[in-house]
Formats: sequence, C-alpha cells, structure tokens
Amino acid sequence: MTVTSLQEVADGYRQPRSLGNPILDLNPITTLCVIVALIVTGIALGGWVPSLAVCLLFMVAAVVAGRGRTYLPLILKLWLGVGLILFLLRALLTPGHVLIPLGRIAVTTEGIEQGLAFACVVMAICGGVTLFFEFVPMRHLTLALERLGVSPQASYVLLASFQAITDLGATAKVVLEAQTARGVETEGNVFMRVRAFFPVLAPVFLSAMAATEERAIALDARAFNSSTRHTSLVELRRTRRWEPVLAVALGVIAVGVIVGRALGWF
Amino acid sequence: MVLAELQDVHFTYAYADTPALKGVTLTLEQGMLHGIVGLNSSGKTTLCGLLRGIVPSFHHGELTGRTTILGRELADWNPDELATTIGCVFDNPFTQISGIRDTVFEEIAFGLENLGVAREDIITRVIQVIEQLGIEALAEKNPNELSGGQRQKVAFASIIAMDSDVIVIDEPTSQLDPEASEAVFEIIAGLKKLGKSIVLVEHKIDLVAEYADTVTVLHEGRVALTGTTREVLTDPRLRSFGVTPPQVTELAERLAASGRPLSRVPVTRAEAVELIGERMREEVGGGYRTA
Amino acid sequence: MAPQSKFGQFLTGYGRLTIYLIPIGVAINFVGGQIALLLKLPVYLDSIGTILVGALCGGLPGAVVGFLSNVINSITSPTTFAYAILNVGFGILAGYFSRIGVFRSWWKTLLSSVAFAFIGGFIGALITIWVFGGLVGGGTGLIIGALMATGMDVNTANFVAQVPMDVLDKVPTVLAVYAIIKGIPRRLMAKLPLGWVYLGQERPGAKAQPATAVQP
Repeated sequence: MTVTSLQEVADGYRQPRSLGNPILDLNPITTLCVIVALIVTGIALGGWVPSLAVCLLFMVAAVVAGRGRTYLPLILKLWLGVGLILFLLRALLTPGHVLIPLGRIAVTTEGIEQGLAFACVVMAICGGVTLFFEFVPMRHLTLALERLGVSPQASYVLLASFQAITDLGATAKVVLEAQTARGVETEGNVFMRVRAFFPVLAPVFLSAMAATEERAIALDARAFNSSTRHTSLVELRRTRRWEPVLAVALGVIAVGVIVGRALGWF
Repeated sequence: MVLAELQDVHFTYAYADTPALKGVTLTLEQGMLHGIVGLNSSGKTTLCGLLRGIVPSFHHGELTGRTTILGRELADWNPDELATTIGCVFDNPFTQISGIRDTVFEEIAFGLENLGVAREDIITRVIQVIEQLGIEALAEKNPNELSGGQRQKVAFASIIAMDSDVIVIDEPTSQLDPEASEAVFEIIAGLKKLGKSIVLVEHKIDLVAEYADTVTVLHEGRVALTGTTREVLTDPRLRSFGVTPPQVTELAERLAASGRPLSRVPVTRAEAVELIGERMREEVGGGYRTA
Repeated sequence: MAPQSKFGQFLTGYGRLTIYLIPIGVAINFVGGQIALLLKLPVYLDSIGTILVGALCGGLPGAVVGFLSNVINSITSPTTFAYAILNVGFGILAGYFSRIGVFRSWWKTLLSSVAFAFIGGFIGALITIWVFGGLVGGGTGLIIGALMATGMDVNTANFVAQVPMDVLDKVPTVLAVYAIIKGIPRRLMAKLPLGWVYLGQERPGAKAQPATAVQP
C-alpha cells in the first residue's frame, strides 16, 4: 500500500460511517423504535391482516435497503420452520367447524383463523428482530448506545462475545477434526461420543478462560479502564432531526392503537 | 530521574509455595535499553509485572522491600495510571488484540480513544505510528485475522501510539518465526533511537548483546549479575546461571582457551567482525614477517 | 474525569476478569451447542458457559451470559428470545449454588442438574405453552407432536417431552462445568469473584486480602 492510500484509509475515518443507503444510515436507535412500534401496532390491531402487513412491510424495507438477498431467504426459512408449524398446529388442534377431518384431529375454520393470526403475530416479531440485526451492524449499535451514555465496557462485552464465538468455534473445530483424524469415534453410542470429545474440549475452554488474564493486562495497558470519557475514531452519521420525530410519532400511534383497542373504540 | 529502583524486594504470589523474587536490589536508569535474562521461572516476568504495578495490584501476593517507579513509591501509584504510564508488550500475540475492532487502524486507535483523545489527533497519531513501523499494508486488515507476527507488530503499534516513555517488553519473539522476530527487533531498535526507556526480557542472547545497554541476569529470584552489557555477557560466571554467552563471545573464549586471545572480548557481531578483521590482518602481516 | 457509567461500575465491581469472562461464557454456550449438533447428541449443551460464569463470577454475570447468548441466537432464530429467561435463571441459580458450595463436590453438582432441569424443562414447557401455544418446531416439537397424536393433550405432552429432555441435557452440562472448575489454576481462581469458594477460603471481607495488595 502506498502512502496516499494510507491517507485514504485515514480519510475514511474523517467521514461519518455510511452504509450507502438512507434506510441503513438511520440511527440504530431510530431503527429499533420504528421496528418495535410497527410490530406493536400490527399486533394490537388484531387479526392476521395487520401482522401480515407488517411482515410484508419489513420485507419491502429490506429490499429497498438492498438487503433483500440475505433477508428474504432467512425470513422464508423462518416462515417454513416456525410460522407454518404454528399455523398447522392450531389449524389441526383447535376444536370448531370441521373442514377436513383427519382421523382423531381435523382442520377447522376456527383453527385456520386462529392459526393464521397467531403465525402472523409471531412472524411479525421474528421478522422485526431479524430485520433489525440485518440493518444494524453490531458496532454501530454499540456506538449509538455509547452516545446515549452506555459504558464502553458494555460495548466490549457485546462485541467481544461475537469475536469469542468465532475464535473459540474455530479452535474447537480444529480440535474436533484432529480427534476425528486420529480415529476417535464420531458415530456410535452417545456416551462414547460425549466421552471422546469433552475431555478434549474442556482444555480448549479452560485455555480461553486463562487467556482472560492476559487480555485484562493488555487492555489495561491501553487505558481501557480509564475513567476519562472515551472518544471514538469511528463516527456515526449525525441523527437527522426528523428521526426522533418519526420514532415518537410511530410510538404514539402504537400506544394509541393499544389504548383504542382496550377502550373498545374499534 | 531513575526509571526504577528496587531495594531488597521479595514477592510471593498468592497460593504459590516459593517466592518469585527473593531480595532483588536493582536500579534501572531512564533512556536506556535494559536486557533481563535468565532461566525460566527465574523471576523475569514477575519483575516486569512489578515495574508495571500489576504485581501486586492484579497478581496478588506478598510484597516486601521498597519499589520506586519514576520517583514515586509503588504503593502511591494508581494502578490504572501506572499501567498506561509504562507500556507493555508480551509474548502472546493473540491476547494483545482487543478483539473488538474491525481494522488495524481502529485497533491502534483504541488506546487513544480510551484516553479521550480527539478524533483528528487520533488519526494523525495512528498514521505516524503506522509509518514508523512500516505496516501500511495492514492498516485496513482485520486484526483478528492476522498472523502471529503481524499481530505482534500491531501490538507494538498500539502501545507505541500511546506514547509512553517507558515500555516493558516481555519475550516479544518467543512465539514468532525468525523473520518476524527480526522485524520486531527492528521496531525495538527504532524505539531505542527515539530515546525510550525499555526493559526487555529476551532469550535470544545475541539480540540482547546487540541492542541492550545494560544486562541483568536473574537466577532463582535473585539478581545474579547486573551491569553494562559487556561486563555481564563476558562474565565468567554467566553460564553457571544458565545463560549462554553470545556466539561471538563464545568464539573469543575458545580462541583465548587455545592461547590466541583477541585484543578484547566481543559481545556484538560488529565488534567481532572488527576484532577478527584486525587479527586476520595481523596474521597475514605476521606471516610475511616469518617468511 | 467523568464517572463510570452504572454498567461499567457493575462490571468492574465484580472484579477485573468478569468483563473478559462474559464473552468467553457466551462463546462456550455456542460452541457447546454446535458440538452437540455436530455429534448428533440428543442434548443441547448450550448453557455450559452460563452456569460456568455464574459459578465463578456470581449470579448476575452468569445471567448476563445467558441473556446475551439468547439475544445473539435470536438473530438467526428469533423464537429463542422467548426462552432467554431460562438462561438468565440458570446463571442466577448457578451463582447461588456456587456460594453454598454445590460445585465443590461431584455428587452435589450432579444433584444440581435436577434444579437446572426444572427451570429448563418445566418453565421451558410453560413458555412453550403460553407463548407458542405448545409447539415451536425443532426436535422437541416433533416429540410433542407425536405424543399429541397418541391422544395426549398439548400441556401434558409438553411437560412429558421437555422435562426428561432437560434432565438428559443438564447432567452432562453440570459435569462439564464441574470438570472445568476443577481444571482452573489457583492463580486464576484467586482473581475470580467467587474463587474463594473453591480455594477453601472465607468470604472476602471476613478475611482481608494480603495487606500489600495495592488498590486505588
């Protein structure tokens, strides 16, 4: 790399972080509020139509934000793995007007209605959760939270967890492969398999725990525990003024719907 | 000001049976590179820990004697302050990366962020350090995916960025291949040129001979020898403490044993080249004379 | 100098190493779970880290490990989030058990699996019934479905399937925790908030640390 490109790297840090799309560049807290408000509104309106509409809205948002390619397959898998099962269970096991008798159980009209409503509610929540993590990189979330006064230690715990999963997972995989290569049974009786691997993995876990001592020393040397207010090299985009307005407006609508339903307005 | 002054320091780790330091008395001056050598468990790492205050604030135990760091009694230092006043790099390249930053540039900036340095100043400083160590190619890489040698360079860069005047370096190359070790020593040589005070624990005695101003030999928790690099490395007792002299010093010893000593005992390669060159010219000259 | 935030104080109050052990606990949960899947074991093994950190650092850090594990899991399978309370419970219970010395003997540890399985199986079944009406899918879901096909009602089927499943899971889990605790070197143990339990000491405060230990 030439000197000019080091300057380019540095210039990258002089600009606020952008993911190149207005939806993705929302403040993570705005994204969170909007998603939660939509889910709550959808569920509070009752029935399967509003929840399904919220699900579809999330899908549209993902496509518009350019994340359709990763979000849609994931959500499809969830519909098949969770939504469908929840629907079928209720459709088959709710007593009512029998549509299709299947021996001891039967598909009923009430079952289909309840199943559809319940599956859509659960899927609206699942869709929202996955959408949030699809849109918001963990690092951006921690930056936004730190701006609100959450401690850098909390950010460390969250971010380091992801890294530790990657690192420890890789080490464990190496150990497992080595054991398999040495001819240790991966098949056969359950107790054999447990006995073959846990004695090998326990030391992996132990050394990861022992490494925390050095981590603590290394991060202390880098003033991690300094009580000075930490600054940040990476900067999030400035939150646009309408973002809190949007979040609050949707929040008010959500609360309004809940109150309205509770008072029987609609 | 004196970097560190130890007077009859004893330290026993909590739950250890034997003391790690048994009456260490030692003075380390500022602005020099102090080599610390000795066998395993001779107390080198404990000494490093003591200089940074992590013994006894992190590694608890029983400490007696007097330890003064940069003119202040160890007990009077705030451990967090001491930990950043005296930088450190140690052997394990994998535990010195924060694990929470996405690029080497950000990793080097991490310590400065924690000190509350303003963004533009961070950027300037990180660029400076990257150029100083010649690791431009790593700037945008993910530190969690680097090789051991590259991580060790990043560890150095991260500590150098914080600009402490004193750096304690504990066996920085023990887990590295020869090429990466060489690169690390170039970094250390560069730090020395900048006038930093360095305490370096290192097994590779040839490298210690090359770069250190003073050498201290620890043996079973005691200071066995201490003095200028030349004094210590040419001391006849060196081997009895488990430390092998540098190759060139051994060579000179063999020559002396065969009755043909060099005019003085070399400890660095440059010296050896000079002395042997001198001898060769003498020999050749002498040869002519006898002919 | 700005004072540290509450969470920072909470974490550092637990001793330096707790912050660094929580991510390792989360990773152990994940890796344990992945290995159980890889070896096609009929157990989850995804709470070893929670119980371990709970036992070594205290109930709240254990609960943080449990909560974080479920949050991270819910990124790809959001239904996991509904069960976060179980993992939080494991952490808190592990902290309590640790203080009263349960993990110091293998048979007490083995017995503790009943309590963990109660949380995991019984309360887990309640969540499945309340939140998902009795079925969420997955391996246990199939068993429940099969039981219901034999004429069992949905609630009974949930308890019948989940409680024994959880006992089967928590026995190897707590034994793994016991083995790991046994393997922790004394020097590391001395730095952990509940290390005193395993070093056969009095509770700190009852007996002060070595007087030379410098603290700010």
